[in-house]
Amino acid sequence: MTLHADIDASKLPDYSYDFRSPLWWGIVGLMTVEGTVVATLIASFFYLQGNHTAWPPAGTSPPELLLPTLSTVVLLVSMVPVYLTDKAFKRGDPKPLAWMPLISIALALVFLGIKAYEYASHVDFRWDTHAYGSVVWLMIGFHSAHVIAVIFKTLVIVYLARRRYFTPEKRIAVTVNGLYWYFVAAAWIPLYMTIYLGSRIWS
Amino acid sequence: MTDSASIHHDDEETRQLERTWASPPGFFAWFTHVNQTNIGMRFIVTGFIFFILGVILALLMRLQLAVPENDFMDPETYNQVFSMHGITMMFLFAIPVMEGFAVYIIPLMLGTRDMTFPRLNAFGYYIYLIAGVMMYAALLLRIAPDAGWFSYPPLAGASFSPGLGLDFYTTVVTFMEISALVAAIELIATIFKCKVPGMSLNRMPIFVWAVLVMSFMIVFALPPLVIASLMLALDRMAGMHFFTAASGDPILWQHLFWFFGHPEVYIIFIPALGMVSSIIITFTQRPIFGYIPIVLSIVAIGFIGFGLWVHHMFTAGLPQLGSNFFTASSAMIAIPSGVQIFCWIATLWGSKPKLATPLLHVLGFFLIFIIGGLSGVMVASVPFDMQAHDTYFVVAHFHYVLIGGAVFPLLGGLYYWYPKFTGRMMSERLGKVAFWVTFAGFNLTFFPMHKLGLEGMPRRVYTYLDGLGWNEANLFISISSAVFTLGLMLTLVNVLISLKRGNIAGDNPWNADTLEWATSSPPPSYNFRHIRTVDSRYPLWSGTGGLEQNPVVTGIRSDRREILLTSILESHPEARQPLPGPSPWPFWLAVATAITFAGLMAHLAIPLLGFVLCFIAITGWVWPKRLGVAK
Repeated sequence: MTLHADIDASKLPDYSYDFRSPLWWGIVGLMTVEGTVVATLIASFFYLQGNHTAWPPAGTSPPELLLPTLSTVVLLVSMVPVYLTDKAFKRGDPKPLAWMPLISIALALVFLGIKAYEYASHVDFRWDTHAYGSVVWLMIGFHSAHVIAVIFKTLVIVYLARRRYFTPEKRIAVTVNGLYWYFVAAAWIPLYMTIYLGSRIWS
Repeated sequence: MTDSASIHHDDEETRQLERTWASPPGFFAWFTHVNQTNIGMRFIVTGFIFFILGVILALLMRLQLAVPENDFMDPETYNQVFSMHGITMMFLFAIPVMEGFAVYIIPLMLGTRDMTFPRLNAFGYYIYLIAGVMMYAALLLRIAPDAGWFSYPPLAGASFSPGLGLDFYTTVVTFMEISALVAAIELIATIFKCKVPGMSLNRMPIFVWAVLVMSFMIVFALPPLVIASLMLALDRMAGMHFFTAASGDPILWQHLFWFFGHPEVYIIFIPALGMVSSIIITFTQRPIFGYIPIVLSIVAIGFIGFGLWVHHMFTAGLPQLGSNFFTASSAMIAIPSGVQIFCWIATLWGSKPKLATPLLHVLGFFLIFIIGGLSGVMVASVPFDMQAHDTYFVVAHFHYVLIGGAVFPLLGGLYYWYPKFTGRMMSERLGKVAFWVTFAGFNLTFFPMHKLGLEGMPRRVYTYLDGLGWNEANLFISISSAVFTLGLMLTLVNVLISLKRGNIAGDNPWNADTLEWATSSPPPSYNFRHIRTVDSRYPLWSGTGGLEQNPVVTGIRSDRREILLTSILESHPEARQPLPGPSPWPFWLAVATAITFAGLMAHLAIPLLGFVLCFIAITGWVWPKRLGVAK
């Protein structure tokens, strides 16, 4: 049998970047799934509000704004080193990958520390006090678990970078980790607005 | 370029491909397999095993209901049996088996060697297997969930359902859905990036379109269920107040559940529509009438399917305007469904279709699904629904829709693709007998339920009183259910004996048009010896010499697992993608995930341990084989 060849794939690269890579679509899929979870949590928050004359319910004071706003700024700033790392790597400079994400991790740890302090001593309700407590604690727990997960993931990336694993062809792994970092930080914005501003505006 | 240079079959390269793509033998190595044909077949076989278990539960219910005031089962057992019947058929059979067909067939239809994330595929399977085994272990121990497959609080809450039954439901449902989610993401990435050169979006087979829409629906419909079942678990185990009457709202559960639950019907139904199109094209031997309207209808169903959920809640006391909106949208879904049916009829019209078993099942689907659609239009109207709600009328309706809309096309698809899976044909004679017995048995079982429902017989009640005029109909239904089961068993017997005795199928026994028929049956572990290019929607039919004349792609490495990536819209070759090989980590991650969620039942701290275990498993999964290879 004779076959005709007209495409020689050996001339094509064996790596791909950005939206050309399946991994990029995989992480976008994951972010869509988790974004739907965030949307469901927010919808539940406002649905449950409809059942109450006061929100947060009577006896619970509205959240303070200073600490959470501060921690939100810290979390948003943590995106900058991730962005600069990815940008340097795109230019062909792999050196920042070995240290710059550590700044982001430190900032994320500050964020988690403020959250822990806030919920240990600054709120006067528990998860089993009322529906408001349940939905707020679930939002905080859900988001904190993601911050911890993305910290672990980034530590693995930095370790591999220090072992010189990442050649420019493997850039997609760094890009994808960066995308997930942006997602974890950005998903906090609607959660912050819901918990801290939403509770105050309609209380 | 080696344009129009001729290449010959190279035996050495074929052997190289076989070595590269082989799944290692042995019991323990079984847990490391990642090839899409292996994993797809596991989903299909496991799905049908759960189908058999679900049928057995249905027969037990019919045995109990055959005569009034029967004491074959006590009410508690009956509650567990009907709940597990629903959970099995929806979560453990319908979604996984459709995914199994998709995982097995889609890469073959796209002409590629595997899916984009083979290990993720394997992970999804183990999650599903562990979840299914846990649910049936609970049933054997008589601690299965007993509040129905949709587990409404407050009945499903801690005060009215103490004990482990509902805990199994909440935790297992929460993590079981991860299986469907990862399969959906993987199918989307594969369909976008792995089509052979020339298979632009407007040349994709309709089954591929259907699976693409199904996958997008899974991505948006399942997360609300995951989070809702987690909330119910926290209500029950941590004293939280999402759905309690004290501070939460039980109706919130209904909204979240049906925001998943209604699209779920279409998640099952849409791939079945794709199967119907494939079968009709093949057995009429002509291009489909109205390719574009059919594709647009599938996409439209995917959107409208998200706007119907409240029609499950008409009796929950929602505002009038909301109910009106959902009545209108429920009626609207009939339009794209109708467009497809008319396109299929137009394709069949004037052709001389070959009335083989797969096409018979499709014709059976037409009749049953249209009846189910008509009773659907009836219950979409609020005043009628108020009367029929929670009666056997609804049971009749959704079995007509689900069995007619999904199981009949699925059985047709089984007869159609069986030769590709096994290399042998199923018996046509036995297949036709099985079809007619199944078809008759189905209608005799479920049609009388319309009447029982209109006469007011409630669903989910373990018995009924003598003298209500329901005795004859119930006995008739119970006997008919045995006929229905007999028909299904004939198909099962056909599947088993044809494995050894069926006629040898050859590559393309039906003279079908899509690429999965361009390789041997069953396909080799690398799917295709040559990656071909296509230039039409019906690549095996086009031109004078068919696919043989089309150019092939050379230069994909055979000494490691590698696939060709192409652009999303036009399918231009872009890159080669190395794929990971066999690995035990997907299995371990599935175990760690199960510990994280199911551990919640035992102690609230176990999920923390599970979180650490998951992290270890993920790190092991992504850890590169060799470090320090960079220059």
